[in-house]
Amino acid sequence: MDIKALIDTIKYILSSGLRGSKSYYLFLAGLTIMMIYGLYNWVFVQHAPIFLKSEYGGLVVTNLTDSVPWGIYIAFFIFWVGVAAAGIVFGIIAYVFNNESFKKVAVLGEVQAIAAIIIVLLLIIADMGQPLRALILMPQLPNLRSMLDWDFVVLTGYLLINIIGLLYTIHMYRQDKPLGKKFIIPFIIIAAPFAIGIHTVTAFISQALTARPIWHSPLLAPRYVATAFASGPALLLLVLLIAEKYMDRFKVDEDVYKKTMYVIVGSMIIGLYFSLSEAQELFWYTNEPWKKAQAELLYMGKGQPGYLVILFAGWIILGTISVLLALIPRYRNSYWGRVVIASLVIVAVVFEKTMTIIVPAFIPDPLGRYVVYYPSPIEYAITIGIHALGLIIYAVLAKASLLTIIKHYEK
Amino acid sequence: MKEEGKIDSKKRQLLKAAAVGIGAGMVSFIAIERNKLMEVLRPVSLSEIIGFVEAEEGLNKYEKRAREREAEIKKMCRAEADKICLDKGEDSAECSEARNRCEKIVVKATPPKPGTRFVMALDINKCIGCRRCAYACVMENNTDRDIGIEWIHVLEVHRDDLELLNTNIDYGEEAPKKDYVYIPMACMHCDEPSCVYVCPVVATWKEDDGIVVVDYDRCIGCRYCITACPYGARRFNWKKPRVPVLELNPNMHILGNVLRYPHVVEKCIYCIQRTRDGGIPACVEVCPVGARSFGDINDPEGPIRRILEKYGAFVLRPETGNKPMFFYYFGPARTPPRSKEEG
Repeated sequence: MDIKALIDTIKYILSSGLRGSKSYYLFLAGLTIMMIYGLYNWVFVQHAPIFLKSEYGGLVVTNLTDSVPWGIYIAFFIFWVGVAAAGIVFGIIAYVFNNESFKKVAVLGEVQAIAAIIIVLLLIIADMGQPLRALILMPQLPNLRSMLDWDFVVLTGYLLINIIGLLYTIHMYRQDKPLGKKFIIPFIIIAAPFAIGIHTVTAFISQALTARPIWHSPLLAPRYVATAFASGPALLLLVLLIAEKYMDRFKVDEDVYKKTMYVIVGSMIIGLYFSLSEAQELFWYTNEPWKKAQAELLYMGKGQPGYLVILFAGWIILGTISVLLALIPRYRNSYWGRVVIASLVIVAVVFEKTMTIIVPAFIPDPLGRYVVYYPSPIEYAITIGIHALGLIIYAVLAKASLLTIIKHYEK
Repeated sequence: MKEEGKIDSKKRQLLKAAAVGIGAGMVSFIAIERNKLMEVLRPVSLSEIIGFVEAEEGLNKYEKRAREREAEIKKMCRAEADKICLDKGEDSAECSEARNRCEKIVVKATPPKPGTRFVMALDINKCIGCRRCAYACVMENNTDRDIGIEWIHVLEVHRDDLELLNTNIDYGEEAPKKDYVYIPMACMHCDEPSCVYVCPVVATWKEDDGIVVVDYDRCIGCRYCITACPYGARRFNWKKPRVPVLELNPNMHILGNVLRYPHVVEKCIYCIQRTRDGGIPACVEVCPVGARSFGDINDPEGPIRRILEKYGAFVLRPETGNKPMFFYYFGPARTPPRSKEEG
């Protein structure tokens, strides 16, 4: 693939992805407004002392403190790393198990990975106090002991792999050529470990810290991966259902829905089981006072903020309901059943993976203080803005790649 | 031909199996010697591999940067002083004080003295929880006055419990209370500092004299070190720090109390600007009951050795494995005395 073909492919993706009906344009315009509002808040308010050298503003506009230094940005960072990692599921089923009906939609997994990783990187940059310095210094003299550097390496690596995969797939499909084995075998061999790796390393950031007892357990990384493989495919399933409804001539095989549902349900059961195992260790039988205090805040709502216990209960209840629903074939195989199950899984995993992982580790803090953390309006605005940008990328890339797939398989 | 091909593939498989076997054997050979395996698996920092790069730049890197910062801060300070002078009049006390402080500003880059290792010890029986050390620290180290960054937090803990969870930091003016002990906590300058291990850009490290420092020009503000610190010692500049010129401490060190940038992490540095020139930290100097002692642990005549030998000492949260270099001990007498019969 030379430069000309590369530019041509990118042009094609942009032109076909940005073309659509009036409601599609309205959808994109709404997202753009949200994105610009978030960007404004980031550059001109939250990071004003860095970008504008101003006296006002700064991370002080967030509700983060020395007691709770990480908040909503890192919380959603963890969720989206999971979604990105699970994009590989379609690729594995299609190419490792050689499933023809999954080959049709495998490229959607790459699209999801790209959009999710971009959200992830932007969330870290929004959270970082000195983002420009970080971009200059991190590649120069990294600390190989620091998991943050390894996370940066695997995240950018995974993004690059997926961009290459997407561009190559679209390039080949446009010329009506199938993807060659020479491309697919190395692609899967590199991408699959990277996919597990991004989420594992993300968990390694927090699980080795003796300073945060509730994180300090080797179960954190497996739990991250397990629930990631529920939420990621659930999002893909929703996107497929939406695409089938709104795009002409796009047909997904029944097999895809069935197998994806198996992956989701299996991962959900493992995730719930891990939660049980953690609760046993952290809450019922430990005598470590600090760990117990943090666990009591999470499981029982002892102390503030009270939303943690609601979120955690929501994860258990919604997760169980979604598993039970998915076990009944009548619901599992119907259109609305699938929509409800996939949405429930996504909501449950958002409950499990965002604030309930980050915040309890900081309350109580090492000095025994209970400093309450609620995200401030500016934090919400920036988070929503970043998500809006991610959704725009997701929509554009998904549209372009699905159009290519339709054309390719019609012939 | 076909038969041959079959044999060939069998041969190939045999070779493959042999290769896997040899590999596994080697791995298990290393695994037998666990220490060797640990050596192999131990993550190294790039600065260890290419340490000579840092060494080439060496000390004059900080020397040079200190000169630059000094000029910058002097300029900033003079502008502030001019404002004060316009406000209060040219011959007011404030004006001359501000001008005086600006002229005195010096940013040092004193290197560690070889062979020294600074350690602090604190007598919990003596501490009365007056928080003068925290105040002196703010005055000495030019911390931001707007959000009120304090490096030293004094915890009020019940004597029976001594559990760092059931603490009270905002105990107000009524101290000391009966049956309570006061535990001042700041950076412990650990031997195995987890904050240093997690920093993604090597912006914080342990110097040869045992002081864990932060390079404010390198810190990217990711706050991973705050998350990793089991002593809650690190503070973040959530906004642009503001220090009034009239309270500015002109004696600065480039790795210590030099004025900070917005969005960088800072912490106790054992008053590096004083101790490297032979002084003692501000908190030790100001303590009204003499609860704190500071010195070189390698010095056999020093106060630290005497305390450790006489009273023994303990560290907070030893289970985290950070090996803190800040010792607490229960000295011979309580201030105030317990009761009459005990004297």
